[in-house]
Amino acid sequence: MKIILPSPLVEAPPPRPFWQDFKLLLTAQLRVTWNKIRHWPRSVRIGMAITSLAFLSLIVFLGQLSYGVLSQLPPHIARGFLSLIFMAGYGALIFFGITTAFATLYMSEDLDLLFMAPVSTRAVFAVKLLVVAAGNSITVLIFIFLPALFFGLLFGAAPLFYLWAALVSLGLWLSGIAVAALLNLLVMRIVPPHRSREAVGLLGGIGGVLIALFFQLPNLLIQSGQKIDLPGWLGGQQKMLQVMDLFPWGWASRALAGSAAGAQWAGLGWSLLLLALGAAVLAAAFLLVERGFRRGWISLSQDQGGRRRKKHRQPRSSGERVRSEERHPLSLTATQEPFPKASAWRGMWAVAKKDLLYLRRDTREWFGYMIPLIVLAFFIGQHIFLFSDTSRSSLVTVLIMYTIIFSGNMAAQSFGREGESDWILNSVPLAGWPVVWGKLLAAILPTLVLMEAMLLGTALATGLSRGMTLLMAAGALLLTFAASAIGLFFSINNCRYHPDNPRQRITPGAAWLMYLLNLVLIALMSLGLLYIFTPAELTDLLREMPPISFSWSFPGLLLYFFYLLTRPFFWAPLWRIVTGVGVAGGVWAAFFFGFMAATVRQSRKGFRVEIVTAAKQIRLRQPS
Amino acid sequence: MKQILIKTNRLTKQYGAITAVNQLDLEVFGGEIYGFLGPNGSGKTTTIRMLAGLLEPTSGEAFICGYNINREPARAKALIAYVPDHPRVYGKLTAREFLALMADLYRMPPEYARDQAERLLTLFELSERADELLEGFSHGMRQKVVVAAALLHRPRVLLMDEPTVGLDPRSARLLKDVLQELARQGEAIFLSTHILEIAERMCHRVGILKEGRLIAQGSPEELRQQAGRAGGSLEDIFLELTGGAEDAELIRSLGEEGVS
Repeated sequence: MKIILPSPLVEAPPPRPFWQDFKLLLTAQLRVTWNKIRHWPRSVRIGMAITSLAFLSLIVFLGQLSYGVLSQLPPHIARGFLSLIFMAGYGALIFFGITTAFATLYMSEDLDLLFMAPVSTRAVFAVKLLVVAAGNSITVLIFIFLPALFFGLLFGAAPLFYLWAALVSLGLWLSGIAVAALLNLLVMRIVPPHRSREAVGLLGGIGGVLIALFFQLPNLLIQSGQKIDLPGWLGGQQKMLQVMDLFPWGWASRALAGSAAGAQWAGLGWSLLLLALGAAVLAAAFLLVERGFRRGWISLSQDQGGRRRKKHRQPRSSGERVRSEERHPLSLTATQEPFPKASAWRGMWAVAKKDLLYLRRDTREWFGYMIPLIVLAFFIGQHIFLFSDTSRSSLVTVLIMYTIIFSGNMAAQSFGREGESDWILNSVPLAGWPVVWGKLLAAILPTLVLMEAMLLGTALATGLSRGMTLLMAAGALLLTFAASAIGLFFSINNCRYHPDNPRQRITPGAAWLMYLLNLVLIALMSLGLLYIFTPAELTDLLREMPPISFSWSFPGLLLYFFYLLTRPFFWAPLWRIVTGVGVAGGVWAAFFFGFMAATVRQSRKGFRVEIVTAAKQIRLRQPS
Repeated sequence: MKQILIKTNRLTKQYGAITAVNQLDLEVFGGEIYGFLGPNGSGKTTTIRMLAGLLEPTSGEAFICGYNINREPARAKALIAYVPDHPRVYGKLTAREFLALMADLYRMPPEYARDQAERLLTLFELSERADELLEGFSHGMRQKVVVAAALLHRPRVLLMDEPTVGLDPRSARLLKDVLQELARQGEAIFLSTHILEIAERMCHRVGILKEGRLIAQGSPEELRQQAGRAGGSLEDIFLELTGGAEDAELIRSLGEEGVS
């Protein structure tokens, strides 16, 4: 068989105009996006549908609220309110724009390929910027176009108003994306390429927290009742509203308020000004981004380039190098005496230290700790500002649940953190208890510090007694250890790793099972604690229950078992407390030592981290 | 008498219906560099991972210095070092921290480990960047760190999967010299490679794997005699045994086409 190759290219193909390149690249980009959507797994589609529904209901709620507020306001204050919403939207557009631009431009895997192809780099960046803009269209729709639309409907604006509303939205959209692209230039310059995934994780984490707080808004507004008087507050902020007129969102509100009041020329003027500003900033951003990449100011490669902090060291002289090598001759001789074995405790600490260094150095890991802090701060704030008896009890419940869930969660991340380096802990001779206890130490040290700090903060905020605080501290300690042992067991058996998302380190099914076991732990330990601190109401209630006799049937046996569990409540205090201590301690020891032993056994057998690809398809690394 | 440091006994690994390694019998002696060759997907990496204790065989046994790697893993693993095909290391540790971690995991005395680590960092020209995070290192630099970590505890058996991939010529040469020195000192080196020139010049014996089976074994000279190609290169023998000879003919025909 002979292969016939096409004849070599003699002349270079004629250059194509910009629009042709742009159309070609845009078609390719649309095809990629369409294929991505087509291959979404069913679970992702369902998740997207549920999220969209939740988001839609939130928007409807906030829309109704805004509509209600606007109807109570005089036109000039309503304009200020509109300006505020536009400002929030513009801020969100810039923030999420930076994240999208960073992912699209800096982490793009096709830029190398596109730069090699005979297409104009301007067409490449035009398409990339279009992708960034399209990625943030929902923000514009929710925060800019819809409020403008409702404003027009409320004030019965003329048809031309809606044209200005579209122009205003377009102008803010273009300028917001352009500002995001410009700021992203700085971010790309600051973040070295090898930390780009981390940076996207960090930006995504901040975005997640903002969205979480956004979803808490209805809860806050409902709980506050009539305490928040938005119209009154806005009425007293005349100066701030005047200052806002100097910014694009102020121009937008002037355009729409003017048009709604019948001044269509004012509407046209401000809208065109916004559009011109958007076009100018976008052109500047486009040129700077394109030039930045073309001239190498921004690195394309993931492995090198970018700005990297270098340690300045004096180059060593050749004489010094020779002396150093004389001092350190290569020593690999098998004839040397084998070294005496160091303590295995050093190995345990080495594993813990490695994980602690990771927690400190990977900024994405911080979010694992920041989210409970933010949520608890939210509850403490709610307790302080909207005090009620239920807020104190809910705060204590949240703290207990968080101690359990958070500890389990942090430990559940442990073995997945090994990622693609899982071969290291599997190939060394120290598998077993040194590795597992090292992992436990790294999981509980920061957790304990955080939990105890949160406990102290809660105790101070709610005015808990010293005895109760100490009791909760001891409880947090025990719960942290037991929940972490459960978390470690599930981690070693179900660990996985997503290179872009360090939080997805355990399979969802295993995570749910872990939470369920944590609840069982709480229930059993609560029984022991109830024997120790028996509430009078409980014994009164149990006294009223009829006696249950033994019978040989499953429901009968179950009922009799629960009946037996209630008997210690009627024992003498000493026996009751001893039983309580025994039950709580026994349950804790059984959970902690049982799960630790199982994890150590699995560690000796070896563990494997499943790698989750960007397409969320799990593949097992299979060697050739 | 030669000491057998690596021995496999009908070692087999199956992934579902696919047999990656099929009844492999191997013996590697102390002081020997054993080259493991085979086309892509022939089972080289699977074999090495089974020898390193990273993968459990479906059947059969593997022994390192007389210890069964699956029954006495801690003892066997204390005597081996493994260099994987991709240098996947902890990106958030510096090179020096990584070596310190490995030393602790092999229970090396701290003073001795520090001294040995500094020597290896100097040897592989890593000292200048030893305090930088590994995530910023190039593939070749990471490979050097992994090789340095493998040599740190002076293993009796070195298992290496494509060790020279990504290394610059100077580092590759250094690695070859180090391996030959280790072999001279009685250690067993088991390496898989696609670079037949390395196998031909460095390895005392070569094993060729195809579809999980060992189809030929011996010194390069013995393989030439077996194949009846006294003056032929190892590449020719390899292509003939693994069925790549047809491809070679095809490539040659391309050249002829170009000339005509």
